[in-house]
Amino acid sequence: MEDNKNRKKSELLPGTLEMLILKSLERDCMHGYGIAQHIQRLSRDVLQVEEGSLYPALQRLQLKAWVVSEWGHSANNRRARYYRLTPAGRKQLGQEVANFNRMLEAILRVIEGPEEEGA
Amino acid sequence: MTKLVQIYQRLLFFLRREKLASELEEEMRLHLEMKVQDYLDAGMNPEEARYAALRQFGNITKLKEESREMWGFRSLEALIQDLRYGTRMIRKYPGFTAIAVLSLALGIGANTAIFSMIDAILLKMLPVKDPKELVLLEWHSGSKFPARSLIGNISIDGENGPSKSTSFSYPAFEQFRNQSGSFKNIFAFADVYQLNASIEGHAELIRGQVVSGNYYSGLGLNAQIGRIITDQDDKSAGSEPVAVLSYRFWQSRFGGDLSTIGKTIFLNGNPFTIIGVTPQKFSGTLDIGNSPDISVPMAMQAMVMPGGSLLNDLDTWWVQIMGRLKLEVTQQQATAELNVFLEQSVNSSKASEDGRDPVKVELLSGSKGLSDMRKYYSEPLFILMSVVGMVLLIACINVANLLLARAGSRQKEIAVRLALGASRGRLIRQLLAESLLLSVIGGVLGLLLAYGIKDILFTFLPSFQESLVINIDIDARILGFTLGISLLTGILFGLAPAYRATRLDLTPALKASAKVLGRERARFGLAKILVIAQVALSLLMLIGAGLFVRTLQNLENVDSGFNPENVLLFRIDPTLNGYKGDQLVNLYKQIIERIQTIPGVRSASMSQHTLISGSSWIADISVPDFTPKPGQKKYVYCNGVEANFFKTMEIPILSGRSIEDQDNEKSPRVAVINEAMARIYFPNENPIGKNFKFGKSDKGSPVEIIGISRDAKYTSLRAEAPPTIYVPYLQNLKMLGAISYEIRFSGDPAGTLAAIRQEVQEVDKNLPLFKVKTQIKQMEESITQERQFARLSGLFGLLALLLASIGLYGIMSYSVARRTSEIGIRMALGATRKDVIWMVMREVVLLTLIGVIIGIPASLAATKIISSMLFGLTPTDPITISLATLVIITVVAFAGYIPARRASKVDPMTALRYE
Repeated sequence: MEDNKNRKKSELLPGTLEMLILKSLERDCMHGYGIAQHIQRLSRDVLQVEEGSLYPALQRLQLKAWVVSEWGHSANNRRARYYRLTPAGRKQLGQEVANFNRMLEAILRVIEGPEEEGA
Repeated sequence: MTKLVQIYQRLLFFLRREKLASELEEEMRLHLEMKVQDYLDAGMNPEEARYAALRQFGNITKLKEESREMWGFRSLEALIQDLRYGTRMIRKYPGFTAIAVLSLALGIGANTAIFSMIDAILLKMLPVKDPKELVLLEWHSGSKFPARSLIGNISIDGENGPSKSTSFSYPAFEQFRNQSGSFKNIFAFADVYQLNASIEGHAELIRGQVVSGNYYSGLGLNAQIGRIITDQDDKSAGSEPVAVLSYRFWQSRFGGDLSTIGKTIFLNGNPFTIIGVTPQKFSGTLDIGNSPDISVPMAMQAMVMPGGSLLNDLDTWWVQIMGRLKLEVTQQQATAELNVFLEQSVNSSKASEDGRDPVKVELLSGSKGLSDMRKYYSEPLFILMSVVGMVLLIACINVANLLLARAGSRQKEIAVRLALGASRGRLIRQLLAESLLLSVIGGVLGLLLAYGIKDILFTFLPSFQESLVINIDIDARILGFTLGISLLTGILFGLAPAYRATRLDLTPALKASAKVLGRERARFGLAKILVIAQVALSLLMLIGAGLFVRTLQNLENVDSGFNPENVLLFRIDPTLNGYKGDQLVNLYKQIIERIQTIPGVRSASMSQHTLISGSSWIADISVPDFTPKPGQKKYVYCNGVEANFFKTMEIPILSGRSIEDQDNEKSPRVAVINEAMARIYFPNENPIGKNFKFGKSDKGSPVEIIGISRDAKYTSLRAEAPPTIYVPYLQNLKMLGAISYEIRFSGDPAGTLAAIRQEVQEVDKNLPLFKVKTQIKQMEESITQERQFARLSGLFGLLALLLASIGLYGIMSYSVARRTSEIGIRMALGATRKDVIWMVMREVVLLTLIGVIIGIPASLAATKIISSMLFGLTPTDPITISLATLVIITVVAFAGYIPARRASKVDPMTALRYE
């Protein structure tokens, strides 16, 4: 059980949830549940978001006008709110991905650094 | 730009928040339903699926809350909600609220009252245009400063140290005004002290000042009614004499009558036309407590000050100078320029004949006017502020303890809220809103209280002046202060209990009944520390109060060296009405002869200074063959007295003879000295028949010592009797002017006084009596500050004691109530009532003793500050300390005994059923 937990769930780095949401919305508009599914599926179940926390994050993104929402109908004809990326959101996504990559590279360099020197 | 968009979005969100909330709810519900559906599809049973979905989703309430936070202005909304909730809680516990609010109102009220005094005396700026621009001129020099004669304050550091003063000669001022290019405007004013004013045939003594014609325009002031003095009025001594009244004088003397303008007022016998009234809030630029009733132009100086015109006198320094610098001029440039002018002025004065020290001008801030007295008041005010600060601290601790105890009974409610998803921060905020509400109510009441007692508090200030006028009104600064300390205290006493209350282990807290909870010890630990702190602080305050009370007692019982009972004093100044020379002396004698005929008057005399009045005559003397030891003062105290002075004041002549009627201006110069003088100047010889002179400039024949009197206090009750010389007043003609009478009477003082007034009226109906009081009253007034300190510190000490007792009572009652079942078991098992009482009292005594053990060394450290204010005892006075300790132990033990007794009355059966 304990082992299972460790393998399956990885805590998100702080601030990355918003980036993941933006990324999910890059191609298509989605409702909240869809976004959750999307993140879980693409991360091959490694990133398990506490699903509820999507909603405050979505509010935040709307507040910053990176995302807009409108009510539509889901596949099984239920009323659902769909979120769409704005041009500002798209720009933000680009920036955040770039920043994140830069940070990731830096972290990797630190982690792998000594090995390279040793080699 | 993006900021603007965000604000716009936020506003939209806020306006649509109701709709947003329901939408969010719908969205979340949909999410959960979809999730459940997915799980069902994967083959879970419905209950399992639902549970898994919820677990996966997280705390819904908290998430909603989090989203709502974002819809702008959430904090405001929450605050309103918190306050509404707080109001409900406050109404629910009226007893608790009353005690808390009362403690706080007393604490905050005392602080506001003292602060309003500090504000009025130390902080407030002159109510004029741009007070910060104003500069006040001061000169600095050595011990041989260039003023031959000086009116106003001068400070000389030690015997030969540097000197400084704000008094200048009028010609120097004129030179500054006419030649200096540094100032936008520069104006002068000077205190006239006493003026004999006669209005519609009634004579009285008032306080006046002379001002340069540009004084009011320089300050940027206009008349309240009528017009103000202008340069036109200050042209020459011959121009029409005019005067402006202060608003206060206009109100008190003329009842605010508009027809006052244009009336004539006689000042020292000269007619002046009243042309206006100065603004209501403006009480002059002279030192605090010296508010002039009337102001006249400089040109009329000779008409209001006896002794002739000073306007061309280079050697008498008496005017204060203020001004506003031009924007482009620095202080250095201005002082450099002024120094040149002052040097020129001094060089053409007589001071240049003697060797003299150089003199330099400095610019002080003029935003508060003259400020010498402010320094004098700042220490007592600082001490009072610390005392009331402590009272407030004790009150805070009390409320904190009450809140802490109540938090115990609300534990279950808080646990439920936490379990339902309220965040801890949110709960703390709510509890804080409650305590802030309490403190703000306390603050409002405190402000009202302060407003009620401010005038009473002012009497504590030591007043050398006949009338100490200080304008206190509750202004923005005081309101700000009160609000500030209210909020501060609210947070101070609210934070710890709120923090404690929300630190809960939910499971046991929810399960347990409110009465039996674990983790009690921690909460009680804090409460006990607070009680100990209260005991220690109260002890400190009681010791302080005890020291002040004993100081007052010592001063009241001090041996003054004369008999103050049944003596009336008054003073006259005939020179204001133009008496001089023989005419003056005849008037003096005429009055005393008439007084002596009044039935009931046993003895009457005159002196230049009455005893313990604060005023005296200090002189350098030179005694042949005497060289002062290093550090010894080179001056002695003198008094010019009439023959009956010793008899009237009952100061015994120990050897030689007293001053007699034949010792007059024509006979050889003689003096009676006191024992202290004899001890210092004639240690091993009989001083009678010996000679001395008054300083090096004394051109007269030597003064012969004819008698030795017993030591008597002169200027103050505090100081030891100083070395004193009594000379016949007629041999000190140079100094004659105002004179005091002392009358020993038997019977009714009021009747005697009426008879005296009658006699003086018959001699000259335009001669007002002033400083009319009994000798006892004069001595009481000299220790006003000590009396008020004793009263205030006693009052605050008792208040602290009361608060500490309430604190201890509250905490013990609470503890007893919680231990009811334990006590029941003990009694069922055979504990007697005595055992139970002792069990509770042991704790009370322990807490008190720890408080005392901490309090005594703290007091010893703190009371060092007030040691200079004490008389006849040291801050470590063992009697005071043990008395205070005894009082605190007794009172606090009694406060603890009430709940202990209640505990002993517990019926074991009821107590056991309690759960």
